Amino acid sequence: MRTDEELFELYRGGSRDAFEILFSRYHRKVIHFAYRMTGEQARAEEAAQETFLRVARAAGTWQPTARFSTWLYTIARRTTLNYIRDEKDEGEKLSILQGDEDRDGQSAPQLPGPKSLNPEEMAWSAEVRERFADALQRLPETYRSAFVLNRGEGLSYEEVAAVLGVTVQAVKSRIFRAREMLLESLAEILP
Amino acid sequence: MKCLDWKEKISGYIDGEISPVEVREVEVHLEACESCRALERRMRAVGGGVARIEATVSPYFRDKLFARLEAEELLPRRRSLFAFSLRWAAVPLAAAAAVGLFMLVSPEKGKDAIFQQGGLPRVAQQAPVATAAAGLSTEEREIVAYIDVLEDSAALDDQGDADTIEIFGTAGGRRG
Repeated sequence: MRTDEELFELYRGGSRDAFEILFSRYHRKVIHFAYRMTGEQARAEEAAQETFLRVARAAGTWQPTARFSTWLYTIARRTTLNYIRDEKDEGEKLSILQGDEDRDGQSAPQLPGPKSLNPEEMAWSAEVRERFADALQRLPETYRSAFVLNRGEGLSYEEVAAVLGVTVQAVKSRIFRAREMLLESLAEILP
Repeated sequence: MKCLDWKEKISGYIDGEISPVEVREVEVHLEACESCRALERRMRAVGGGVARIEATVSPYFRDKLFARLEAEELLPRRRSLFAFSLRWAAVPLAAAAAVGLFMLVSPEKGKDAIFQQGGLPRVAQQAPVATAAAGLSTEEREIVAYIDVLEDSAALDDQGDADTIEIFGTAGGRRG
């Protein structure tokens, strides 16, 4: 099986098949990443589309010595940031920024008790999912990026550091801080 | 060391990002400390929960993206199967059309030539395969010769050869 880097080189040489394989390997990951970052399906899809377009447009600038996945996530993160900023510029607010109240100003739905939310046996209801997504969106973007790349996408601290352009120590600190904040905002549904 | 001080190490432990020595330290502490075990459980739950937040992937996502890539000429277009088939079918189709045309234009000319001569036509005799196929029956050699002529468009240049081809193509039907 060809590596990502070999495939991208083939794509740069004009191979459509190589791009198709890379797309099949990464498109779900990129969409999920964008969703975890934006908290919104439509924006996530748009950001993911834009990410792949930018990857193709910037193919000439890619250095074969760099890991393709790291480069892809770097572009995905920057692209997603633009969508988040665009949203803020438009004066919109994500539902998650509305605290514990939903869009109608009513109290958030009653969540299952802690016993049913054992990490291994957690009942993954729509409410719990939304609560997690909301809590994630409340994190500062630098913490969220680090945590999502590590826990959501499975990147190592070193890879996260490369994507974010910071030190491994900074990544370690950001992920820890993200965990602390999430523990606090999800305290009532965690075991 | 207070439990508070273990928190960051436990975080790194969950992520598999601490040294083997630190792993051992954390595990020893977790065995002894109920509150840190609870913290570890909650930390794992948080990470696991985030991993389970997934978008829905639209069935149109790929087509939409690839259309945009093609529009910007960032992706080579895939040749359609029809165009591909047509390209490779062109030679035999042209040959078949030429044979059919000769049949229409001169239906009687040279009709029985092959059987009068009792052997293969000149074009077929000159073809290397005719020699190689010496062990074949007359009918099989006729078939082989016919195939060779179709593959060699130059062979159609000669009127006499074309007449012979006509005979090959229709002999079975006309003999009776």
